[in-house]
Amino acid sequence: MSGHHPSAAIAERVRHIESLLERHGVIAPGEVDRRIDDLLAGGTPLNGARIVARAWTDPAFRERLLTDANSAIRELALSMGGGASELRLKVVANTAEEHHVVVCTLCSCYPTALLGPSPSWYKSDAYRARVVRDPRGILAEFGVDLPADVRITVWDASAESRYMVLPRRPEGTDGLDEAELAALVTRTGLIGTALV
Amino acid sequence: MSRINDIGGMVGFSAVVVEPDEPPFHADWEAHLHALNALLIRQGVYNRDEFRDAIERMPPAEYLAASYYERWFAAVSTLLVEKGVLTPDEVAGGQDATAQRGPADE
Amino acid sequence: MSESFSPGDRVRTRTLDPAGHTRLPRYARGAVGEIVERAGDHPLAEDRARGLPGEPQPVYHVRFRAGDLFGSGDHAVTVELWQDYLEPLGTAAR
Repeated sequence: MSGHHPSAAIAERVRHIESLLERHGVIAPGEVDRRIDDLLAGGTPLNGARIVARAWTDPAFRERLLTDANSAIRELALSMGGGASELRLKVVANTAEEHHVVVCTLCSCYPTALLGPSPSWYKSDAYRARVVRDPRGILAEFGVDLPADVRITVWDASAESRYMVLPRRPEGTDGLDEAELAALVTRTGLIGTALV
Repeated sequence: MSRINDIGGMVGFSAVVVEPDEPPFHADWEAHLHALNALLIRQGVYNRDEFRDAIERMPPAEYLAASYYERWFAAVSTLLVEKGVLTPDEVAGGQDATAQRGPADE
Repeated sequence: MSESFSPGDRVRTRTLDPAGHTRLPRYARGAVGEIVERAGDHPLAEDRARGLPGEPQPVYHVRFRAGDLFGSGDHAVTVELWQDYLEPLGTAAR
């Protein structure tokens, strides 16, 4: 994605703008570096995996999560950013009858504060253009082949909510504890282009 | 009329390419730009909708040719000038000594 | 502002093609869908993109059948839309 343009030139220009903004006092020296550290230390798919594992083992938590995800994830000491920047989280649950897939067709909205930066494919023009029209085709590219009678719902993050899919608990996982269950969950599963 | 970002449902795009074990950022400048943009929004230099609007105003061919963070760079540059934070020359310049860059560098 | 919608209400989306920023995707314009759930109240993105404060108004998850959007497909697409984008069509039979 980033290799086909003169990356060195753009890197230099970003550096230049950053130093000008520091010189003009728009940003404090070192503030960008601190923000990057926060960014990398904050959201991660592991947060999503913990939420999913809790929902798989605690039906009451699952209900709360599907009704008001922002409140429910606070029980796990997680948040969508908190304060004025807190966005609404909407969790949609896969079932035997219905499978959910998330996209942002207009830009790249994603629960970054909770799950970290989204993968490049999620932000790609191809995914954004195609998944609303042909989710089964996209799922097939990801190796997901759902029975024909499973309804698919695509959620377009076109406004203020951010979405996370609650995958179905895999068969044969009865003996696993919450941490072992969380280890099964992938970022792709939280978007809905994988089963888990 | 509809802008180039509004591509949901358009046909003709290729298969979705997945990069295994993808890092959060592919280059330092992407991380810096991401953080810089978040700070500028937090400080009210511009808001998220103005940022999206600036990406959407990219000429369609440039939008489609640009990588994700190249789009961000275009928008941040546009807004810093429009909001009067930096001059066009400042935004266009690399090092101070090479402030004038030709189209070949774009 | 008009009455707010409730889950199950059928709505038609605006067909207007604005020159500037909008969060009503082209593929969902002029389409009939069903209100799923209210998703809070927020100023219209169109206003904020112009630097205007804007009055908060309801935002909804609106469910569309793919066939109604693209002429084919057996899936559904749920789009999150501001009340200004929607006009009432009465309550769904189901």
